[in-house]
Amino acid sequence: MFSALLAAALVATAVPAQAQVQPSAAQQQAEPNQVQGLTVVQGDGYATLAWTQLAGATDYQIERTPYAEDGTPGAPVIVGVWRPNRQINNTEPTFADAGFVPGNRFQWRVRARFGTEAQPYSAPVSGTTKAHWGDPATPGENLRTQWENTLGAQYTSDVNEYAYTAAIDEASDRVRVVEIGRTVQDRPINMLVIGYPKPPATPEAVAATNPLMVNCNVHGNEPGDREACLIMARQLAFTKDSKTLDLLSKTTMLIVPTLNGDGRAANTRGNSTGQDLNRDHSLIRQPETRFLAEMVRDYRPIAGYDGHEYGNTNTGDLPMLPPRHQNVAQGIFDESQKMIEGHMYGQGAKDGWWACPYGCTSNANVGLSEETILRNTLGLKNVVNSLLELRSSGGPTRPDESNTANNRRRKTYSALWTFNEFFKYHGASVGDITRARAEAITSQSANEGRIVFRGSRKIEAYPAPHPGEAPPPVDAPTSERILQQPPCAYKLTEEQYHGERTDGPAGKRTTAAQRIAAHGWKVIKVGDAYLVPLSQPQRGLIPLLLDEQAVEGLVAGERIAPTLTGTHNGPLVVSGVACLDGATVRGPIQVRPGATLIVNGSSINGPVNAAGAAGFVMTDSRVNGPVFVAGTQGPVVLVGNEVTGPVNATGSKGVAPLVAGNTVNGPLSCTGNSPEPSNLEVANSVRGPKSGQCALL
Amino acid sequence: MPDTLTPGLCSGPLPRVARRRRAVAGAALALLLAVTACTGSPEQRSGATDRTGDAPVAVSGPLCEALPSGAEPGSPGSLVDRSPDQALAWIPVLTTFEAAVRATGMAAELSAAGGLTILAPTDDAFRAKFSTANLDHLLLKDTETLRGLLKEHLLGGARPVAELVAAGSVTTLAGTTLAVTAAEPGARLADRAETVCADYRVTGARIHVINKVLGSLPDTAHEEENHH
Repeated sequence: MFSALLAAALVATAVPAQAQVQPSAAQQQAEPNQVQGLTVVQGDGYATLAWTQLAGATDYQIERTPYAEDGTPGAPVIVGVWRPNRQINNTEPTFADAGFVPGNRFQWRVRARFGTEAQPYSAPVSGTTKAHWGDPATPGENLRTQWENTLGAQYTSDVNEYAYTAAIDEASDRVRVVEIGRTVQDRPINMLVIGYPKPPATPEAVAATNPLMVNCNVHGNEPGDREACLIMARQLAFTKDSKTLDLLSKTTMLIVPTLNGDGRAANTRGNSTGQDLNRDHSLIRQPETRFLAEMVRDYRPIAGYDGHEYGNTNTGDLPMLPPRHQNVAQGIFDESQKMIEGHMYGQGAKDGWWACPYGCTSNANVGLSEETILRNTLGLKNVVNSLLELRSSGGPTRPDESNTANNRRRKTYSALWTFNEFFKYHGASVGDITRARAEAITSQSANEGRIVFRGSRKIEAYPAPHPGEAPPPVDAPTSERILQQPPCAYKLTEEQYHGERTDGPAGKRTTAAQRIAAHGWKVIKVGDAYLVPLSQPQRGLIPLLLDEQAVEGLVAGERIAPTLTGTHNGPLVVSGVACLDGATVRGPIQVRPGATLIVNGSSINGPVNAAGAAGFVMTDSRVNGPVFVAGTQGPVVLVGNEVTGPVNATGSKGVAPLVAGNTVNGPLSCTGNSPEPSNLEVANSVRGPKSGQCALL
Repeated sequence: MPDTLTPGLCSGPLPRVARRRRAVAGAALALLLAVTACTGSPEQRSGATDRTGDAPVAVSGPLCEALPSGAEPGSPGSLVDRSPDQALAWIPVLTTFEAAVRATGMAAELSAAGGLTILAPTDDAFRAKFSTANLDHLLLKDTETLRGLLKEHLLGGARPVAELVAAGSVTTLAGTTLAVTAAEPGARLADRAETVCADYRVTGARIHVINKVLGSLPDTAHEEENHH
């Protein structure tokens, strides 16, 4: 009895601001199997309940009782069921209660069940929940969304979203609202660019800050994440929290509230043409997906979340999934899993939210390897990222969600928790993420190893699934979906590249050339054809659109095989197109005007000289001698090479040279290239001086 | 029935938000700033009877307690002065039906002279009937079929549920005759659907929320791919 009182006193001391223990009969006399040590800590739109594990408990029920403003208690309701598959550590059970109207006052109790037999309730803890974020008397902070103002009865309309984000932009130096494009029906697709004290001025400057992105609404009939994004934008714009401001001073948050504005307005999954936009991120037939691809190309986020809702009652609160396609660089997959399982599972166990792998229901045929899904597309673009689902219905673990507003609030505040955790995780892990990204860009550019057209990496269920649930499908690649020897490049005809296409909405159709440009691939014009080398950062995605074996291809390009894989002794003069793969050249290489040289994983003992080449691509190679590339008509790509000697890139026209992740034992000099060279934030290691346009690369 | 809901902290009726939510951005901005402070005190409520001015609005059915009530935005009492299409946008379980009204351009028809009875299926009812792909198709590409479907849910005259039960059968605007039997506290329609929250009174119409989709379109929910 004494120990129960002591525990209660400690609880009251531990969370004085949020919760007080009320003396009650139940408390004064601890009953057998009564839950002890209940604490309640308020979050934004949720309350984290924690209690002491009770040996032998099958599960726990969470009861919430509302209090009217005058202190009159209402009827108690079972709002939650805690099951052992909720969290990775069952020794410290927690439950995030949500769905209530923020700001209201409640009392909570928890009881264990042995089998189905209910045990006595814990002593109650009462507290006032946090009101809608922001001081109602402080301009800016006092902005509210339509969804907040209507207590979840209505979602925020397109017009009110534009007004709300414009008001944030107006009131906060930290926020700039950028229109990244328009939908088929001409609705603006906005992005909030958020930094501290203000966001960098250009996409290029944003890219230098290792930005992170949240795509909030791709399926118009899944609007829960979008409301969280709108609230988070207000928090970031006006918070005085020093930790948040510190994080925001080092990076840039990119929030796209509504990619599918037409579908949101019509309450449809697809856009106005009926196209599921999350099956279009590789083909980018629709303007919405193409504009997002261009945003990713220009702003270069290093990490992302893609928000959805999912109609499965058995799965967790927050199903998540990394980019599983096997063409995604291992490090990007690993870092995405680290973010999900390493952080979200652990933090979820602390805060009471149940994150789990998406697809964790027997026979679910979801969460696979389609490169058309943003999760995979971003991974193939070397972005550490996750899908986020908000479980549509309350299901057995949240039995009080027949009330639609309760259900909507739980979903949105669980998304808000996730996006805030994502922001914190990114800040704490930016070193690991950028390292994984740099390795991915260099390893993809090496064009080494097999290509898989469809097929996933395995995802384990963790913790052990509840009976009836299972890990996501294995989705291993079948043999006909594997290409053991990837080509050096794909060759597209003029018709394939610039020809009119019919796979897009009338009046908004684009050519293959426009889509390839939106992804940001390097293309070499050779006579009347176009070469797309695989040895570039999005190597895993290129064959999925250009190979004849592609499942959802764009055009069937001609595979260009390597021209030299063995040893060549003596000088090599390149006219036309030469592709060296794993080759050894003992002698100088001279690339003639108008010719193209692609070199992957090769060794060259001698100077390399290219003047007026159509294109010059060298990756994952060792050169003992100087590399001089001058006046290239098309792309210059130098990634992941080791050069002993000076490297000189001058006077290229039309395409920014890519000079990234090289080790140069000698000087690196770039002059007169237009546009200027870029390293995609993957630094070169240069022994000698760096000068000219490459001084900062 | 037990009152498990409590009024929100900032739960005054916010009629201007809804009425003007299609206003131009500048006006909407001013309005957003204007409504950020809480106004009005929560109204009292008892059971499922909502009071607005002197007009009590008694809705009935098992779903009513899970819908906005009392002083909450979207409560029955707050909808009496709204046009039918506006009122639909405030009842949170009717997002599909409401979208269908807009997709078919039928908002004006819902305010027809002589009044109208709207049998509005819940979102759950639509999900149980149609796959997502089928619904997208109806909403985006086949609005003629959708219009026919909506007419299966409309009756001439703004009629309380008790009156429908008393009549024994009613004819929809699509020309279909529906048998109506009592199913306390509401009605059973065409031996298929039941009212789950009946007798929302709005300007020129009655809205009865029902739990099944009426009409004769084929079921496609089983084709759901469940990809999200």
